[in-house]
Amino acid sequence: MSARSAHRVTTVGVVTGAVLLLGLLALPVAALVMRGGAEGLRQLGSDSELRRSLLLTALAATSATLVALVLGTPLAYLLARNRMPAGSLVGALVELPLLIPHPVAGIALLLAFGRASPAGGALARIGLGIVGSPLGIGLAMLFVAAPLYVSAARESIARVDRRYEDVARTLGDSRWRAVRRVTLPLAGRGLLAAAVVMWARAVSEFGAIVILTYNPKVASVLSYDRFTAFGLDAALPIAAVLVLLALVPLLALRSLRARAGSIEHAA
Amino acid sequence: MITLERLSSRAGRFELRDVSVTVPKGAWGIVLGPAGSGKTTLLETIAGVRLATGGRVILRGGDATPLPPEARRIGMVYQHGYLFPHLTVEENIHYGPNDASATREMAARLGADSLAGRSVTSLSGGERQIVALARALAPNPDILLLDEPFAALDPRRRVRVRAELRRMQRERGTTVLHVTHDFVEAGTLGDLALVLDGGRLSQVGTPDAVFRKPASGAVADFLGAENVYRGSITRTGAGDAMEMATLFFTGDGLTLVGVGDHPGGAGHAVIRAEDVVLARQDPGPSSARNVLAGRILEVAPDGVLARVTIAMECTTLVALITQGSASELGLAAGDAVVASIKATAVHLC
Repeated sequence: MSARSAHRVTTVGVVTGAVLLLGLLALPVAALVMRGGAEGLRQLGSDSELRRSLLLTALAATSATLVALVLGTPLAYLLARNRMPAGSLVGALVELPLLIPHPVAGIALLLAFGRASPAGGALARIGLGIVGSPLGIGLAMLFVAAPLYVSAARESIARVDRRYEDVARTLGDSRWRAVRRVTLPLAGRGLLAAAVVMWARAVSEFGAIVILTYNPKVASVLSYDRFTAFGLDAALPIAAVLVLLALVPLLALRSLRARAGSIEHAA
Repeated sequence: MITLERLSSRAGRFELRDVSVTVPKGAWGIVLGPAGSGKTTLLETIAGVRLATGGRVILRGGDATPLPPEARRIGMVYQHGYLFPHLTVEENIHYGPNDASATREMAARLGADSLAGRSVTSLSGGERQIVALARALAPNPDILLLDEPFAALDPRRRVRVRAELRRMQRERGTTVLHVTHDFVEAGTLGDLALVLDGGRLSQVGTPDAVFRKPASGAVADFLGAENVYRGSITRTGAGDAMEMATLFFTGDGLTLVGVGDHPGGAGHAVIRAEDVVLARQDPGPSSARNVLAGRILEVAPDGVLARVTIAMECTTLVALITQGSASELGLAAGDAVVASIKATAVHLC
């Protein structure tokens, strides 16, 4: 076989493989949107339970993401700058929830924060019950999605050369002031992209939430509930709306990544 | 004033060890050394952005070793500038505490004022270095650490910025420690030269003394000495090893007479090319103690000078003479020549 023929065969193989996988990924989503998209959008106007569940999902995911931003950013910084004792162990611990099947994560959360547990009992006594409450939804989302934020934030901070902080310190900044004035702004778009990824993951969570808090229902649980109670046609519109809503963070993420890339290139 | 007492530090696997030196107040110290010799690590340890693993950093007479960088009041400029890309040029210059009008005047003297409206990302490498210099000088530090700050400037601007910075340093009485690979810069600016090699301080002295009398063959090589020979050195007489004496060097097929305080033993002979005198034939009786015969390998023009490489019995000798002398003597490859070198021009180390 000549070099030219070999090149052509390889090209055809690469393109065919790529198209096959793309089709495999796009087909179910397209089928869902085509079958239930229009009806889902129409139901948004008439189905108050659907609207409530979407609002609850968005609020819980946003709260979990804000908590991760506040608590996860310092952790990401310490891991990125190797300033944490047993850093690799801590890093592995942070990423562990990503590997646990989500219903198992729900069971673990139930054990740790259920009413029978010391922590759950104490929280319930001050009116912060976890099981069967919006707080439980937020906690489940935080548990399964925060590792994504911390990992991406750590990478984003690690990409900011430590010498920017060093220069800021020779100009009179304390370490944390240098981090606030230099490192975080330079890593800012990366942190925002990490938050978007986490938010999207939190919105799509089902396994851990369904064990910890079936009611009130988030959108994924409502979709499952209608599927089991009324069949495929009843679940389709909700599922299609969820897919359409997922496009919003996806597009935001792509835009942020493009801008973060251009800033890093300039730096 | 900067005093280092047996300062040690680590950068990954690299170790800076036992560096002891004093740069007096208002002096301009030059740090020389091959790549990877610890020059940047030294500056970073003095600035406090890298922890000292041993020894002390004494600034302005006080022990600064335990102080964080922000408490050391040192200006530092890295080779790549590290301008904050999320800030404008003006915001970069005014980042630290500064007197706005004095900073504007200083920036104008360096030529950074015309860049004020520009985005950092649009600056050339040289412009970045100018802005980085202005930013480091804005808080008016009395100690300035410079890591190849002129490397990206074009030759004309380099001369102008260098001269202006030297003027400002004299006006302010700033103590400077400056890493450079540019020997002209070292000779022009330096009051003191430090040579680092493999994380250790090899030599300290005035730039002239360091260039003329390198402490070792490695230092001589790094400083660009053209003729460095390895061999053994013998002292005449039985005087104190630290006293000046006539020395004999044997090595690389050469026997040379020199003068110095070398204690004898293995060592190097260093001859600067400009100290070699060439003649067509043996000049007869003269004060030069070293007369070596050889054959010319190459005559290469070097500006107004000519670099003549001569093959000796087992080695080569390079002489730097004027183009006029070369043409008067009619030197060409293959010609026999005689090289004369005074004993005082043979540095034994």
